[in-house]
Parts: sequence; C-alpha cells; structure tokens
Amino acid sequence: MTRRDFVGLGTAAMAMAGAGELLSGCATTQQAGPGGLGSGSGGPSNSIGYFARFGVTENLIRETLAAALSRGGDYSDLFFQHRVSTSMALEDGSVNKAFTTVELGVGVRVVKGDQTGYAYTEELTLDAMRSAARTAAAIADGPSRPGPQSFHLFKELPQRYALKVGWDAVRPEQKLPILEGLNAAVFKSDPRIVKVSLSFSNEYGAVLVADSNGRLVEDLQPMTHLGLSCVAEQNGKREQNGYNVSGRAGFDFYSPDRLDRIVREAVSRTTILFEAVQPPAGELPVVLAAGSSGILLHEAIGHGMEADFNRKGTSIYSDKINKPIAHPFVNIVDDGTNEYARGAINVDDEGNVPGKTMLVENGVLTTYLHDSISAKHYKVKPTGNGRRESYRHAPLPRMRSTYMLPGPHKHDEIIASVKKGIYCSNFTNGQVNIGGGDFTFYVKNGYLIEDGKLTRPIKDVNIIGNGPRVLEKVDMVADNLVIDEGGWTCGKDGQGVPVSQGLPTVRVSSITVGGRNS
Amino acid sequence: MSTNSTNLAEVARQAVELAKKQGASEAAANASRAREVEVQWRDGQLDKISEATTRGLSVQLYVDGRYSAVSTSDLRPEALERFISDSIAMTRALARDEHRRLPEPELYAGRTQVDLAIEDPHQAKLGADERQRIVRELEAAARAVDTKGAILSVTTAFGDVLRETYRVSSNGFEGGMRGTQFFASADVSAKDSDGRRPEESDFAVARFFENLPDATTLGRRAGERALGRLGAAKGASAVLTMAVDNRAAGRLVSMLLGPMTGMALQQKRSFLDGKQGQKVGSERLVLTDEPHIPRGLGSRLFDGEGIAAKPLPLFEAGVLRSYFIDSYYGRKLKARPTTGGASNLSWKLGEKGQAALLADLKEGILVTGFLGGNSNAVTGDFSLGVQGFRVRGGKIAEPISEMNISGNQMDLWKRLVAVGNDPFAYSAMRTPTLVFEGVQFAGV
Repeated sequence: MTRRDFVGLGTAAMAMAGAGELLSGCATTQQAGPGGLGSGSGGPSNSIGYFARFGVTENLIRETLAAALSRGGDYSDLFFQHRVSTSMALEDGSVNKAFTTVELGVGVRVVKGDQTGYAYTEELTLDAMRSAARTAAAIADGPSRPGPQSFHLFKELPQRYALKVGWDAVRPEQKLPILEGLNAAVFKSDPRIVKVSLSFSNEYGAVLVADSNGRLVEDLQPMTHLGLSCVAEQNGKREQNGYNVSGRAGFDFYSPDRLDRIVREAVSRTTILFEAVQPPAGELPVVLAAGSSGILLHEAIGHGMEADFNRKGTSIYSDKINKPIAHPFVNIVDDGTNEYARGAINVDDEGNVPGKTMLVENGVLTTYLHDSISAKHYKVKPTGNGRRESYRHAPLPRMRSTYMLPGPHKHDEIIASVKKGIYCSNFTNGQVNIGGGDFTFYVKNGYLIEDGKLTRPIKDVNIIGNGPRVLEKVDMVADNLVIDEGGWTCGKDGQGVPVSQGLPTVRVSSITVGGRNS
Repeated sequence: MSTNSTNLAEVARQAVELAKKQGASEAAANASRAREVEVQWRDGQLDKISEATTRGLSVQLYVDGRYSAVSTSDLRPEALERFISDSIAMTRALARDEHRRLPEPELYAGRTQVDLAIEDPHQAKLGADERQRIVRELEAAARAVDTKGAILSVTTAFGDVLRETYRVSSNGFEGGMRGTQFFASADVSAKDSDGRRPEESDFAVARFFENLPDATTLGRRAGERALGRLGAAKGASAVLTMAVDNRAAGRLVSMLLGPMTGMALQQKRSFLDGKQGQKVGSERLVLTDEPHIPRGLGSRLFDGEGIAAKPLPLFEAGVLRSYFIDSYYGRKLKARPTTGGASNLSWKLGEKGQAALLADLKEGILVTGFLGGNSNAVTGDFSLGVQGFRVRGGKIAEPISEMNISGNQMDLWKRLVAVGNDPFAYSAMRTPTLVFEGVQFAGV
C-alpha cells in the first residue's frame, strides 16, 4: 500500500534503503530497563493491579467510558499501556551506548458501525482522559448512552510467555559479557571480519484493556531482540550481513546454542557473499528454504486476508472465501499461540484471546483475520487479530505468526526436481500491493540450482510475483516446517507490530527474479 | 494540554539540571509536543477521526566518559527523577568512550536569523467542517473520472499537525522550532477485468495550507492514476531507458544518501567510502542540502545536535563533495562535522518537463512507483520492484506491473542522462523526473 507518513515526508529521508518496508528484518524499537517492573507472572491476579500504581481506578475508567459514549457510540474501549524498553549497543569492540524509552498513555476508541473515533493522552488524569474521550466520541452524533456500571476482570488468559526471571531483575553487568563474547567469537572465527556491531534489547510492556461491556483484561508482554551485523573485507572488497533473534522471552533465551548459532550464521552469511553472483533476470523456478521464507506467505496472502481490506472490497481475496486457491497439500495458519515466539500474544489489543486461525485449509481459502469491527461486520467471532503498535494507534486486523503446515514432499526431492532455478534462504524485507496482489521479497542469500544441485551462491536480488498466481504455483511442500526466530516487524498504516513467520521447504514453479543478464 | 512553548524550554532546562545534579558531567535535553488531527473518509461516509497531543522528553546523558540516551512520555516529576537516576546508574555500567561528548560549542555558532516560514497560523483556525469538506471533495473528484464503473472504493484523508521542540544542552546550546504540516490524500481501488483490484493514490503535504493542491485536482489525479493501472501486465526482461517520475524518484535518492553518513563510513558500510572528490554520477547529478528554503518540509535552523544549519554541497557535476557527519563520528573519523542528516534537497533542474523527456527517450519505461526491494549500502548493488508504463514513440503506452530493476549504484548514477524541471513539492527531497539509460528490467 502506498501510505502517507507525516514524519517520513517531513525531512529528506536519510532512511537506509530497505529499512522502511512493510515487513522488515531490522531491529525495532524494543528495549526496556530500569523502572522496577513486575516480573513475568503474566496473567492478571486482581483488578487493574498493575495500573493501580499510575492511579488508574475503576472509577476513572467508568467516567472516561461515559464521556466516550456521550454522543451515542456503539462501543468504546480504553487501551492503557506502560512500556519500558532498554537497548545496548556494541560497536568497535565496546558496549558504549544505551537507550531507554518509557511510554505511558491511554488510547480511547469509540466505534459507531464501521466508523472509528480515536484519541489518546499521555496524562492519566480524569480531566485529560475525559477530554480525549469527548474527542473520540465525535464520530457518533446521537443521544448519550450509559457506560458500564460494574467491571469484571477477565481471568482466563492463557500464558504463552511466562518468564522465570523478569527483565527487571537482570543487571546491565549480566548482559555485557554476552555482547563482548559474541564480538570476540566473530573476530576469532574469520580473519576477514573488519567490523562487528551488536544490539541487544529487552522490553516490558503492560497493557490494560477496559471496554464499555465492563470487561477488564490485563497482560504483561516481554520482548527481547539481539542482532549481530558484521562487515568482512577480502581483496579490497567489502560485504555486510548479519543474523538476529527475537522472542517474547527472558534472559534464558540466550542459551549457548543460540549464541553459537548467531555467530555462525552471521559470519557464514557474510563471507559467502564474496563468492556470490547475481542470478539471471526473468521467470525461474524458485525453491524457498524452510524458515524465514515464510515472508512469502506474509506478503502473498497474509495481508490480503486482513478483514479490513476485504470489508472494503479492496483485497484481491475479497471474493475467494471457500474457493480453492492452491494445491490441496497447502495449509496456511496465522497463530497467536506459539509459546515465546515474537508473534505470540495472550490477548490482542482489543482484549480478545487469540488462537490458531486457518487461512488456507487443504488448498481452500477459509477465513479472514478479524478485529472486532470486521467480526461484527461479517457476523463472526473475532479471531484475536486486532493489534496496534501502541496507545497512540487504533487497532487494525494484523497477522501474528504466519506459517505453512508440513506437506508431502522431501527437501532433497524438491531441490533435485529443479533443472535451472534458485534457492532462497535468507531475506531482509518484503512488501505487497493488497489489491493488485503484486508482492516482493528481498533475497540476501541463496544459491543457484543447476541440474538438481545447489551450485553458486547468489545475493541481493528482489523477487516479484502476484499473490494468487504464486500460490497456485506452489507445487511442492516439504515436511520440514521451521518457524523463524528472527525479529520481524510488520508495518501497516504507519504502525509496526512484532510478527513471526515460517515455512517448510517449498517449490514455486515460476516467479520473476529481479536478477541481471550479462 | 497545559504546557506551552515557554515551558517546553523550561522542561528541557530542568531535565538538563536534574541530570547534572544526579551525576551527569554533561547533558542535553529535547522537549517536544505535537498536536495532530486526522480525518479519514471512505465511500461516502466518515471512516475515522483521530486527534491527539503527544509530548516527549529525550535526554542525552554523559557520565564519567560514558553515554546513554533516554526518552519518556511519563513526565510526572517523581517518575522523571527516578528515571534519570536509574538511567545514570545504567550508564555507569557501560564502557568509556572518549568520543562521546556534546558537540564543540563553535558548531552551534552562525545560526541564521532568517525566517523559515514553517508555521501557518491557519492551522489554528481549521475546524471539523472544513476538514470534512476537503475529504468529501477528494472522494467526489476521484469518482468523477470513472465513466465505466471500475472504481471499487475510495478512501480520502486530511490531516494537520503542529510540532514544537526545544533543545537545551549543558555546554551552551538553546533553540526551539515550531512548524505546521497539512496533508491530503486519496487512495483509489479499482476492479480489473481479471479480478485484480489495483490501487493507486495521490497525496500532498505542505507547511502552509494554501500550498496544498485543491481537493478537486488531487482527487482527480488519484482517480486517473488508479484507472491507469487497469490491465497492467509484466513485460519482457530487457535493458531499457528508464524515466522515474518525480514522486517516485525519492526512493532512488534515499538509497544514495543513506551510505553518506559518518556512521556508514566509519563502520565500513558504505560504497561511497573514499569517494569524496570523485565522480560517482553523471554531469547532471548536482545536489545541495539546503536547510533554509522558506516553507521547506525539511527546513531548519539547527540539526538534531544543535549544529547550525548551513547549505552543504553534496554532488557537483557528479562529483561527491560532502558527507553527513555528526559530531561523534566526526571525532572517530577525525573529520569536521557537517550535519547528521539531510534537510531539504536542492537540485540543479533541467529545462524540460516529463512529457518532453518522454518524447526524447522514445522507447523505454516510465516508473511511477517502487514495490519493496533493497540496496546493499556496502556494495551499491540494488534490486527493486517497479510499476509504471511502457513508453512507445515518446508517449505513455500500456501499464506494466510485476517487474523489477537491478544494478549497481556506482553505475546507475553515471547513467543519469536527463533531469526534469519538475521538482516534487510535497517531499523534502524535491526530486524532479530522472532519466537513466541502460537499466536492467526483469519481467517475463
């Protein structure tokens, strides 16, 4: 989607090319740190327990919701959020900078039919909240409706990211050796490495949703991310690449195995680029490696299945529910339940508990991804896909963890089946035009396939295709599903949310490869 | 919101004092506030209204030769005090870095007194009725071009914002800025005969309300753009001349400017490293960073560190003249700081508009939009999705989609053979139409 962005247009963007795509592998703003946040017990224990420290009471909520419904909105919700993020960075061998961000505020939403009024305030006083609520109320134009008189705390939340030790209990001194150790290991592993940079972040977010039905839902949402990027030099040429991991997890996420993998992958993905060539330009068979290739699903189908685009009739999938769109061995899910995954949520940002949503079942398109507005429009239950970046934004239907279930083929069999094509294993970003269906993803590493074998490495090539046409051309799916551990962030309408993705090895019989012809 | 400009300055001064009192040797603080309103309209009815005031404080802390940066929207005094003391404690755990200091005060000197004219008093007078009139007119104009009933949905929007910031540093900098922006857009979705639903949009953003195009013109252009996408198909892979329209060209320019920062150079992540004084583009690449353009979207008196803004030559006849160097990477590189990033770009324009340029190029492709892709900052290799139109006999012909361009920037900019006279007014990059010869397109 082309989308306006005040900030982006405000200055001559120094934006690094590729950093602003709809789905980007770059580290996001997650951080956290001082502030004495509670450890990861997760689920609520008593009514608005966490937010009591900010003076948020049931009475404050009642008064605000009453103001929100003062012009006859159908529904209103308040989204309180307190998020503390800390990140540390290593550059030139030392951990010499850190960032901490604290966000505290409440968003007030009023819904009238399909229409939304939205306002937020960062002052949690009755006056400020009531004023925001009156602003949001202006979407409706009728007699006042009463707000809820009593509230009930929703207690049946699942726990998909319980932490043994909360981030507040981890001292900076404990994190430094990890970064210093990774830096040393990278330099030790290959003499061609000339620069290493690392960023490490952890975040604690607390949210409280209170709505006009009297429902209160609280959640504590941890996140961590570690990204390693290196530059290598060989015969006067330089190449750069990296590896990053992320999850709603605690300090124990950084196991020796995972740390080893970060070093190994970052170095091998970088140094192999010296041997890499550009594939030829034009249509070719493409094999996608298990794992982060799930970017294909995110762009080719996920966004097009978000119900807001379908409600407006603007998605290419608008008239395809219950129709076959792929081979019968293709099954695609969007799942909020993968424990500790970056795309996991106990509750969405409108207070609904997400489960696993089948998007494509045996090749047939089954359901859209709903927030509460679209669920009401389609007269179905919300799927728990109402997500938002923060209290500064109204929720929208968004993906969580999107992946394809295992299929009937074998990885080796798929590679062997291709006479001349490419194998793609590592990606930086992707983007989609929802209605036209055209989408792209950018391949950072891969191989040429010649006569059924992986031969020369390839690099830096954009793949472009059309969602429905490419799904029809997914003609082999292996049994080796991998959900990627990378720190993916999905952008839509100027809002970024953390997501996960995965794929088994898959063959697409033909797609346009943006390579070069000699 | 109770805070006004005077107390933004007060908030910043207090934060610097608090940081110093709690143990920072130096500190700088930015206090900011933005008031934004946006109205969205879809298919004959109001779709969304949003309105908010954001406030924020960010503080750079220098503690015993160590550094951290913090920001918060929780401005309650007791929370702020604890936040800063906790942050200082955390900073003490980091490594010393001799290069982390506030900018040398002489870099603050020479700030121009010119009036940038970036605040439009009309913003305060805009009311809900006027905003809604604009979004309604945008939709009507977009639909008016549709004689075949191809338009499926039209979403229009209008927004305005007033941003204010005030920066104070403990080694003598103080300065504030206030600016407005107005924004209008129309997104149009149409139905193709094969079931695809191509969408296109038009938008404008300006410092002054009167500099937006009227709603009828903008809405009509959005409708025409969307209908122009009907029947788009991919063409054959080929090496062709590429014209990039002024609205889209910023994508190419941002991938050229990204590797020009001090950080990219010092971290060996720039294909432009060591190229200062060398020819990296054709004679037609003439580009200056110009911070003082009246009403400019990127106009400023000082940059994010307080360094006084001055015009900065970037490319002269294709020769790379300057990098964007902030004070930290300037010390690491032993180079004099210029500024950390671009403000407005000023281009040496050509003589012709887009239609005349297309007439000259005869056969090729006009790119009107990019889709995904990336550029490798270290090597300059790029690969980008594109859409646009075939140009045949010097005229715009059938629409193309699902195509890609690839190349290397060290080659691409030397292939810049023409620059239009039509800078895109609604971006700080102010790009004109650009024409490149011999570009690899991938399609069928």
